[in-house]
Amino acid sequence: MYGQGLIKGLSITLKHFFGKKITQQYPEERPQLPKRFKGSFTLIVPKCISCGLCANSCPNHVIMIESEKDENNKKKLKGYKMMAERCLYCGFCVEACPTKALQWNHNFERAQFFREDVNLDLFNNYVPSPEDEKTAKPEKKEKVEESAQAS
Amino acid sequence: MEFFASIATLLREWLSNGLGLSATSTELIATAVWTLVVILFVLINLIVLVWLERKYGAFFQQRRGPNRLGPAGFLQFPVDIVKVLGKEDIIPAAADKPVFKIASICAFVTTITALAVIPFGPGMVLEDLNIGIFYFIAIGSTATLSLLMAGIASNNKYSFIGAMRTVAQMISYEIPMVFSLLGVVMLAGSLRLSDIVAAQQNMWFVIPQAIAFLVYFIASIAETNRGPFDLAEGEQELVAGYFTEYSGIRWAVFFIAEYGNLVAVSSIATIMFLGGWNAPFGLTFLPPFLWFMLKVYCMIFVFMWVKWTYPRIRIDHLMHFGWKFLIPVSLANIVITGIGIFVYNSIGW
Repeated sequence: MYGQGLIKGLSITLKHFFGKKITQQYPEERPQLPKRFKGSFTLIVPKCISCGLCANSCPNHVIMIESEKDENNKKKLKGYKMMAERCLYCGFCVEACPTKALQWNHNFERAQFFREDVNLDLFNNYVPSPEDEKTAKPEKKEKVEESAQAS
Repeated sequence: MEFFASIATLLREWLSNGLGLSATSTELIATAVWTLVVILFVLINLIVLVWLERKYGAFFQQRRGPNRLGPAGFLQFPVDIVKVLGKEDIIPAAADKPVFKIASICAFVTTITALAVIPFGPGMVLEDLNIGIFYFIAIGSTATLSLLMAGIASNNKYSFIGAMRTVAQMISYEIPMVFSLLGVVMLAGSLRLSDIVAAQQNMWFVIPQAIAFLVYFIASIAETNRGPFDLAEGEQELVAGYFTEYSGIRWAVFFIAEYGNLVAVSSIATIMFLGGWNAPFGLTFLPPFLWFMLKVYCMIFVFMWVKWTYPRIRIDHLMHFGWKFLIPVSLANIVITGIGIFVYNSIGW
């Protein structure tokens, strides 16, 4: 029969009319982001060994690292800036980081009044937290031990 | 309502006795006042209708619609009006300027004049013509002209195509619309709208004229250029159709005319098929005017429901549907109604 589809369509929209609305009221209601969401970057400064792999992997040369050598001839981070205005958020830097010092976070509200404010100063804005003190080294030790046991 | 009627007589008495004016000037001033009332009625309806359109459209799509400004976003449209009023009035350099300027006003005038014959309640009518429905159809046809003026004067290919489509569509769908109304006129035996409402005291004409009601409903959607027949302003193909070049207040006037037409068409549907201001099942606790508006808004709800459900129809399908389906159906309806009336009279109930 002609017109069945029309009536079906009308019934569906009528159900929607009286049904629950699915819009998220964003500023009041925060979105539930997935675990692997790519927002902005966090640098866990004590973990960073200033190896420069992140800067090397960056296709746009966004990352600027400043480091100095201490008395043990060991590199120490002095500054870490991301020129985020030309960052394409590919995540190569996060992938390249050997100690997982550079990580994604869930901050997606990055709009700023001035262009310079978009850039990230990850070194100076670092907020220490007790979890960051766990270095990546024990993990490596375990692996070495495991390989030793295997051999 | 008696309240409004008493205001009318009071005004007339005050003008003729209180101010000592002659009969002609009294009549002129009173008519001007009622015209103003009708225009205000259109504008108030516009505010409510735009809010309803946005809200209904959102609800049909599981959204919430405007909800920031005022209760349930009701103040969003008044603020938009202020924005539109503050806009620069741009007229394209290549446009036919006088026609371009007149076109939007013409569209508004046809809407207002169409509302002149509509009885909103017993005695609540600007001019109760004895050919009311005929007048309404005639004025409705002239609306095509203002849209054609707008489209051609803009000197823009989108406007031009939009205007051509509007004319083709409106002329094609005028015929089934008139034919569907003819069945009701045959039953009521009068072209006067208040007589037609009075004839529906016992039974609404939507019951004996169900097919005519459907045909009228479809044709009136096409007449008001609303979805799914909004080919004249299909955004995806024609930017905005005949008012592509219009902006600011001139565009707003077209907008008012469009919603005014929606009110007019829904009012005619209410008068012709849904019993006008007659209360159903003797539920007379509401005044007739409110019953009328309730029915009009129910019709508008259905119009919006249809608009927000169906996708836009293709132009050749539109023409085929109008000429090959609606016109034969409405003609058959007239024949059947005629036979029905003849049988009814010859049995002599």
